[in-house]
Amino acid sequence: MPGRVTEFTRAWRVVLRVTAANFRGRAQYPGDFALALAMGLAWQTSVFVFATVLLTRFPGLGGWTSADVLLLVAIRLLSHGVVVTVFNSLILMPYITQQGLLDVYLVRPMPVYRQVLLYQFPLNAMGDCFSAILLFAFALTRLHLAWTPGKALFLAAAVIGGALLEGGVQTLVSILTFRYTIGISVFMWFDRMIATFGNYPFSILPVAARLVLTYVLPVAFVAYLPAAVLTGRAGLGGVPLWLAYASPAVGPLLYVAARYAWYRALRRYESVGG
Amino acid sequence: MRITPLTELTQAARLLPPLAMVVTQLALTFWLWHALYHGVRVSAGLDVTQATTYALLGVLYLQFRTVDRWSNGDTMVQLMMDGTIAFWFLRPVSPRRYYLIRAAGDLAYGGALALLAYAVCLGIGAMASPPSWPAFGAALLTLALGLVITYYLQLIVDLMCFWSTVNDAAVTAMSFASGLLAGAFAPIWFFPSWFQRVNEFLPFQSTLNIPLSLYVGRLPVSDLGVQVAVQVSWCAALALLTWWLWRRAAARVTVLGG
Amino acid sequence: MPSAAGVVVAENLSKVFYTRAGAHTNGGGFRTAIRALVSPERVAKSAVDGVTLRVEPGELLALLGPNGAGKSTTIKLLCGILTPTSGRVEVNGVIPHQDRIANARKIGAVFGQRTQLWRDLPARRSLEVLRDIYGLSAADYQARIKEFDEILELREFWDTRARQLSLGQRVRCDLAAALLHDPPVVFLDEPTIGMDVVVKEQVREFLRDQVNRRGRTVLLTTHDMTEVARLAERVALIDHGRIMYDGATGGLRDLAGVTWQVHVTVETVPAVIDVPGMRVTGALGEFLTFVPSDGSELTPRQAVRQLIEHLPVTDIRVEEPDLEDVMRAVFASGGARAAAE
Repeated sequence: MPGRVTEFTRAWRVVLRVTAANFRGRAQYPGDFALALAMGLAWQTSVFVFATVLLTRFPGLGGWTSADVLLLVAIRLLSHGVVVTVFNSLILMPYITQQGLLDVYLVRPMPVYRQVLLYQFPLNAMGDCFSAILLFAFALTRLHLAWTPGKALFLAAAVIGGALLEGGVQTLVSILTFRYTIGISVFMWFDRMIATFGNYPFSILPVAARLVLTYVLPVAFVAYLPAAVLTGRAGLGGVPLWLAYASPAVGPLLYVAARYAWYRALRRYESVGG
Repeated sequence: MRITPLTELTQAARLLPPLAMVVTQLALTFWLWHALYHGVRVSAGLDVTQATTYALLGVLYLQFRTVDRWSNGDTMVQLMMDGTIAFWFLRPVSPRRYYLIRAAGDLAYGGALALLAYAVCLGIGAMASPPSWPAFGAALLTLALGLVITYYLQLIVDLMCFWSTVNDAAVTAMSFASGLLAGAFAPIWFFPSWFQRVNEFLPFQSTLNIPLSLYVGRLPVSDLGVQVAVQVSWCAALALLTWWLWRRAAARVTVLGG
Repeated sequence: MPSAAGVVVAENLSKVFYTRAGAHTNGGGFRTAIRALVSPERVAKSAVDGVTLRVEPGELLALLGPNGAGKSTTIKLLCGILTPTSGRVEVNGVIPHQDRIANARKIGAVFGQRTQLWRDLPARRSLEVLRDIYGLSAADYQARIKEFDEILELREFWDTRARQLSLGQRVRCDLAAALLHDPPVVFLDEPTIGMDVVVKEQVREFLRDQVNRRGRTVLLTTHDMTEVARLAERVALIDHGRIMYDGATGGLRDLAGVTWQVHVTVETVPAVIDVPGMRVTGALGEFLTFVPSDGSELTPRQAVRQLIEHLPVTDIRVEEPDLEDVMRAVFASGGARAAAE
C-alpha cells in the first residue's frame, strides 16, 4: 500500500520540520539553552552521587550487588531520557490549554496529541540523556554480564517499555487539564515518585510499599523488574516469573490505554473563553 | 515577612504534594541506608544509625530551606523584572535590612516545619539523638553560623539579578552546589578524599556537614573551636563582599531608574 | 462532493455544558484533582439552543450577539472543536467533529484572542511550518503568500517574532495562516476586537475581497454593530443560544428602527436644510440632528463629509447605534425571524 507508506513518511517529515522550527525558537535564547543543559545534569545529581559515591563504598543493596544496582539505575535513567525527549510537552498541558491552543490544534489536519507533544522543543532532554548515557557506560564497565543478542533486545524493550509507562502515566494526568485548572505540580509529583522509587531494588522496601508500587503506580515495571530479569533475579522479584519476563510489555499496554482515554476525553473538551 | 506563610496556610491544599513528597523521601532514605549497611558495621567512620540520621537531616534541609516565593511573584528575579524592586530603595527600612527580615521570616517558617518533621522522626525512632548535650550544643552553634553563611551565599546570588535580568542559571547552580557540597545528598565522609580536601576550602561544607557531623558524633566536640573559627572567617569575608555588592546595586538602581 | 463545497449547515444545533462548581477556580492542584473525582455536583448550562443556519458558497454571514450569547460556542461547534449535544452540523459535506482531519483541510479559522503562530519565531517561519503541515507545494505557497502580502502588507513585519507583533499585525498574519491552504470556508471569532480603526478597515477589505473575488464562504462572530453594517449583507442575531433574527443587515436596522445619528452645531441655521441622503430629526437652535433618509446607503463618514460641505459646521458628533439599541428593538418587535430560507 504505497499510499500509506508515503503518508507515514510525510507525517514524519512534518514532525521533523516542526521540531526544527521549535528548536530554532528556543535557540534564540542562549542563556536558556545553557540553563536547560545544566538543569538536566543538576536534577540527576542525587542519582549520580548515589551511584558513584555510595555504591562504590558499599558491597550491595537489598541483596543486589552494586554493579547490578547500577544497571537498574541506568535503565531507569535511559527510559526517563526517552520520556523527556518525546513526552516533555505533556507536562506543559496546563499552559497549552490556558493559551487556548487546543482549539487551534483541533482545526489543523494533524492529530491533536501529536501537536501537543510538538509544543516545545525539549531542551532539558539533552542534559537528561547525556547523564543517562554516562551512567549506563559507567554501569557497563562494572557489570560482568554475558551479553547476548536476546539480552540486548530485552534491554532495549525495557527502556522503551519504561518510557511508554511513564509517558502513559503523564498522558493520563494530562486528561485533567481538559476540564480543570491543574498546575504543573501534579505532573511533577508523579515524575518525582517514579524517579524516587524507580532507582532502587524493591527488596529494600517493606511489603506494603512493594505492592503499591507494583500494582497501583506500576513503578516496578520501569526498571526494577527488567533489571531483575537481566541479572538473573527474575524469580526473586516478588512477582510471578512470567510477569517479570513480560515487564517491558506493561508500559506499551498502559500507554495505548492512556492514549485512547485521552482522545475520548478530548471529545468532551469544553474550551476556554468565548 | 508574613507574606509567604500566610498564603501557604490559606491554600492548605498546596501543602499536600510537598508534604507527601517529604514523607516518601524520608521513608525511602531510611530504607535505603539500612539496606546499604546490611552486613556492614562501619563505613567512612559512620555506623548505620549515624549515617541514617545524617541523611534524614539532609533531606529535611533540602526540603525546607527554600520557601516558595515564586508563586507570589516575590523572588528577587521577579521583583527585578517588574520593577517593584525600586520600592525597596524607597522604603524607610534599608534594602539590606528588608532582605534580612524577609530571609529571617522564610527561615522561621521553613525551620518550624523542619523542626516538626525532626520531632516526628526522632519520636518514631528513625533518627538518633546526639551522643551528649555538649555535642547537641556544638551542633546548634555551628548550624546557626552555617545559616548565616547560607544567607550570605543566597544574597550574593540574588544580588546578581541587578546585573543580569535572568539569573535562573545562577540560582540553579548555587542550589545544586550548596546542596551537594554541604552534604545534603550524602554525607561528605563517603566522598573520595581528594573531593573532601577541595571541599574544605569552600564555604558550603561548613553550612551543613559540620553541624551534622557534630550532631551524630562523627566529629568530636573538641573540634568545635577550629570549626567555629573557620565559620566565623567565612562569615566575615562574605559579609564584606555582600556589603560591597549592595552598594554597587544601589548605585545601579539609580542609574537604571534615571 | 463538489456541490457541498463551501456550504455550512447547522440544523437544530444544541450544546449543553455541565460544569462542576469550582472546576476552573484558582489554586488548582491536588485539591481540585481529588474533587474532580469525588464531587458529583453538576450544573447544566445551555450555551447553544436549537440553532439552525445555512450559509451558501460565497456568502458572508455575521453572527452578532452580546458577550455570552453563544456566538463563540456556535463557531466552535461548526469548526469541530466542540461536539454538539444534539443536532446536525455539516461543513463542506463533512461532519466536523467526526471527520476532524478531513474537515481541517477545508476550513480556515481565526480566533481573535489567540494566535496560531509560533511565538518565538518570525511570522514568516510560522507560515512556512504551516505550509509543511498542510502539505502545500512550493509554487502554491509562494503564490498565496504573494497574494496575501499585497493586500495585508505582511512584508513590513513578517520577519518580526510573533511575540513582538502588535495586535493588528498579528491578526493579519493569522488571516494569512488560516487561508494558506485555500479553504472554501473560513470561520472568524471576533477577529477585529481591540484593533484600531485603520487596521479594522484593512481586515474588512481583505475579507470582502476574499468573498467577492475568490468566492469563499465566510462566517464571523462579532458584537460590534458597525462591523456588521460595514461588512455583511446578511446577519444572524444570537442571544442566549438562540437565533433571534437571520436575514439582511438592512432589514435588521429597519426592523429595529435604529440607525446612526449625526449631531451638528452650526454657526448659523440656514433657512432651508437640504443635505442629500439625510433628513433632520431634531433641531434646537444651532444644534441639529440628522439621520439617513429612507433608502439612503450613506455611511457615517460620508455623512460627515456631506454635512461639512453643505452647512457651516462648527462641531460635529457621530452617534452609532449600539448593539443594545438594536437588541432592545428586536426584542420589542417580538424577535421576528425574517424568512432567510
